[in-house]
Amino acid sequence: MAAQKSYSLPSFMNSDSSLPWLLPLITMLIVFAIIPFFYNIYLSFHEFVPAKRALLFVGWDNWIRLFTDGVFWGSLKVSLYYTFMCLLIQLVLGMGIALLIDSDDPGFGIIRSILTLTLVIPPAIAGMIFLIMEDANYGLIPWLLKSVGLIGPEDTILADPTLALWGVMIVDIWQWTPFMVLILVAGLRSLPSEPFESAVIDGARPFQVFRRLTLPMLHKVIAVAILIRGIDLWRMVDYVFVLTSGGPGTATYTLSLYSWQRFTFVQWGYGATISLFSLIVILIVGNAFIHFAKVKW
Amino acid sequence: MNKVFKQVLGWFIAAIFFFPIYFWITVSIKKDKDIFALPPKLFDFEVSFAAYEEVFGISRFLYVEDMGAVRPGGGDFYMMPNLVDSIIIALGSTGVAMLISILAAYSLSRLPIRGQQHFMGWILSTRMMPPVAVAIPMFFIYKNIGLMDTHLGIIIIHALMNLPLAVLLMKSFFDDIPKDIDEAALLDGATRFFVFWRLVVPLAIGGIAATAVLCFIFSWTEFIFVLMLTQTGLKTIPVVSTSFVTSTGTAWDNMAALGTAAIIPAFIFILLVQRHLVRGLTLGSVKQ
Repeated sequence: MAAQKSYSLPSFMNSDSSLPWLLPLITMLIVFAIIPFFYNIYLSFHEFVPAKRALLFVGWDNWIRLFTDGVFWGSLKVSLYYTFMCLLIQLVLGMGIALLIDSDDPGFGIIRSILTLTLVIPPAIAGMIFLIMEDANYGLIPWLLKSVGLIGPEDTILADPTLALWGVMIVDIWQWTPFMVLILVAGLRSLPSEPFESAVIDGARPFQVFRRLTLPMLHKVIAVAILIRGIDLWRMVDYVFVLTSGGPGTATYTLSLYSWQRFTFVQWGYGATISLFSLIVILIVGNAFIHFAKVKW
Repeated sequence: MNKVFKQVLGWFIAAIFFFPIYFWITVSIKKDKDIFALPPKLFDFEVSFAAYEEVFGISRFLYVEDMGAVRPGGGDFYMMPNLVDSIIIALGSTGVAMLISILAAYSLSRLPIRGQQHFMGWILSTRMMPPVAVAIPMFFIYKNIGLMDTHLGIIIIHALMNLPLAVLLMKSFFDDIPKDIDEAALLDGATRFFVFWRLVVPLAIGGIAATAVLCFIFSWTEFIFVLMLTQTGLKTIPVVSTSFVTSTGTAWDNMAALGTAAIIPAFIFILLVQRHLVRGLTLGSVKQ
């Protein structure tokens, strides 16, 4: 083969060993994933001391502070609540919409296309969109809620300690429910039609078909959607940053936002400790989920 | 369920999800008095492209000779440098991520690797890391090696962020191509690299394009790394758009103009690769 000569240059790549192929990836992951991880552990045992203008070893201080810090427990609660509630709402809503638009009829292709649009909006800008729509004075959503009497004339959303988190969650639900819809529709479309036809012949009611056939057959797709969405919900910081900056008070601090906020206050060691805690939680929960839900790549 | 009812409900849901986007676009072409109007003016407002002129710097050229009467903010809202930064970073990080991931994905798909399942698990675990947990240590590393506030620094960190997606997704695309092709060519005496570059990559070109588009979009929309790893000079669109909120008020029309300009190209890109979108969003595990 004559053409082959010109491609024999990287000769080390012609062996059947996989190492040269993986080397760039492994180098990248070591330099930019493993080293930061250990650096983070190092930081969690140090703290910047303003009086000495230096990063000093403080032993377990950061970790002790972590577990006695009320704001940390509050932000952990917010992160858990945010992750579980959004996941639940997006999954149920997504499944409902997916069942509705899983159809070959004309028009549903366009509806699916429209639903993909929210996914590519930068989350920070999605936050901005809802910042103006939820504005206390001239926002569309408070105005609507007031005119139907769901909130009082003086109430606000983002400045209200109990409503503020929902004001943030609504953005996430708007932007990422279509994520669930598209994945579940793809799952539904790939199901074989025979079991459903015979179930209908056997006189099964729609809900029974859904419980006994659709859900079990979609198990893998649902598990993957939950895993990926759960990871992203846990790491979310853009929306709270834009909409509330954690306020009012500390009502909407998530772990990531609190960690970032401590970091900007030059409590580098403590910020690193919070982020490390958040990282360890998601690594354990994520990998356990992959194991028990039997998700395979 | 009745077919007509399904259609109506489907379009109603699509309209709900599209509404905030429509509203945002109208804000970008409204005048202040219409932006703040309640009930909101959704159709009957005065159209003005002043915000776009400011953001793209057209007003600079229009008003600069007028006794230096650059309109308030005419300079502050000039966002072309940030758009260019965003494009450089998104393109650069996509290139780096694709180069590394195509090589790695080919070997993961074709060559025998000991502990492949563990290696894939490791890559997936990288996808789980909260950005803050990476950005805090990277902040110190970048300060020491001088990558702070540079395009290269952000390109590298965005490439890293996209690597798990790119590797797993490319592996799934390579897995779709029959291995017989490789084996037949190898038997004919072709080298491994020839097989890879001349046979497998051209067959996977659709998948490569889809993966590249997703990498581009995730870099384009990324927020927290840019926020923490740049200080003064370099700001991408999502980060700079937050600076429109100031203590003296928010320049909603300018912000919406910039936001609209940032999302329209992304809309076009994503509709082009819609066929592979679900596979991309699920890191290659759910095929359409």
